Amino acid sequence: MSVASLDTHGADVAVTAGRDREDIVVGGEIVRHRRSSRFIHFAVAATFIVCLLTGLPIWTPFFTWMATLFGGLSFCRWLHPWAGIFFAVSSLVMFVHWAGQMTFEPGEKSWLSPKRLMSYLEYRDDNTDVGKYNPGQKLQFWCAILAAVGLLASGVVMWFPASFPQIVRELSILLHSLTFILFVMLITWHVYLGTAAEPGTFHSMTRGTVTKAWARLHHPKWYRQVMGLEK
Amino acid sequence: MSVHSLEIRRSSASLLGGATGMRALPDVAKYVDTSTCIGCKACEVACQEWNDLAPVATHQVGTYQTLPTLDAGFWNLIRFDEREVDGGLKWLMRKDQCMHCAEPGCLEACPAPGAIVQYANGIVDVNPDNCIGCGYCETGCPFDVPRFSAKTGKMAKCTLCVDRVSVGLEPACIKACPTGCLHFGTKEDMVALGSARVAQLKANGFPQAALYDPQGVGGTGVVTVLGFGDHPEWYGLAANPHVPLGVKLWKNILRPIGLIAIFGALIGTVGHYFTYGKKEYREEA
Repeated sequence: MSVASLDTHGADVAVTAGRDREDIVVGGEIVRHRRSSRFIHFAVAATFIVCLLTGLPIWTPFFTWMATLFGGLSFCRWLHPWAGIFFAVSSLVMFVHWAGQMTFEPGEKSWLSPKRLMSYLEYRDDNTDVGKYNPGQKLQFWCAILAAVGLLASGVVMWFPASFPQIVRELSILLHSLTFILFVMLITWHVYLGTAAEPGTFHSMTRGTVTKAWARLHHPKWYRQVMGLEK
Repeated sequence: MSVHSLEIRRSSASLLGGATGMRALPDVAKYVDTSTCIGCKACEVACQEWNDLAPVATHQVGTYQTLPTLDAGFWNLIRFDEREVDGGLKWLMRKDQCMHCAEPGCLEACPAPGAIVQYANGIVDVNPDNCIGCGYCETGCPFDVPRFSAKTGKMAKCTLCVDRVSVGLEPACIKACPTGCLHFGTKEDMVALGSARVAQLKANGFPQAALYDPQGVGGTGVVTVLGFGDHPEWYGLAANPHVPLGVKLWKNILRPIGLIAIFGALIGTVGHYFTYGKKEYREEA
């Protein structure tokens, strides 16, 4: 936190401004995620982690030891579907909250070509046309929404197996496994890129702010817009 | 219930060490002859009494059958099916219960270590200490047998009276049967008994008689003599039961691939960090 972000009474002007507003410059910092954005992100994250830690020991005995975190496998089995409901509800709120900002703009799909993705991961991409969210982040968002739908639909069947025909149960078990495997792989990279690989990014999800240098490096078009350099 | 005086051949969701069976025990089986069953339901009563199961509420739907289907508190049900065969009415009765498969789909689907076990003598049993009531066994069973008990939050089914068998007694249902249509003994003996009865039926107007011991699940711990052996579905039995394909794909294909993929993604991030490091703004020197 820079000194400039405190007013004369010591109040943190960036955080107070970030309660309800984002994409603004305050005290030398840029507010990237307002309070509601951060809440909803971590509501999804926390409920997902509970689902993950209660689901993994049920998925394979390789992770039975995790059940101890919750006091045993029976409690995991009880908690998992309820945590899943909260995950689905959080995901729905996240969808309403962010869907508008996450729609792909013309030309953005080319960013998702293997070549461009590789150059992004190799830090060779110049990013000049990247706005507030890059197409990879948008794809991550839509995958998360899709995963929530798939996990909820198959999870409800697995919760009440006696109410569904055999073939629906089998397909649901397979869909639940497949969706969760792909989603966990995605989330592993999401967490890695948002923490270890990109210093300052996690900060935007906790305090809500980023530095100007961070904005210019990762989201140059958004930086120009926030700074009033471009419409 | 789990009886520890019997050794365990196979245990659900156990990576290693699930099998404790050292002694060579013969497989046991029930013999059910549908052609001499008179539908008296003595076996149902004996099952309820021995296992101390409370009566289950039902309603009359125009059949002799006690309940529409098996229940968490009702493990042995005589099914009554009426069928017209060659212009005559056949009243088919069959003892519906856990079949104690040699390759149990319930055990394969079960995610809780040791919640479903197969003893060295072939009996398949739910161990309520370990059962978490997830219901995966319902999907794994090709005979639609395991039931969820709302009272205990666990699954329940016929134990083949493992508590009686382990001390040298025959199952309660067998003891109660007044016509001798039920017998209990080694699998080998019961198959021999069944084959002899099938030969007798074939010579007496039931050329299609057969012994139901489906090999798709490795054979069952209940061998059933069927007068109309070419139509097991008339008795509510699958023609060729097997562990569901979805369960096999899930446990044997998707799970190992998923484990590798998830750890692969994790190792991939480490590899990326080692190769490219952080993406960070640096002041020009």
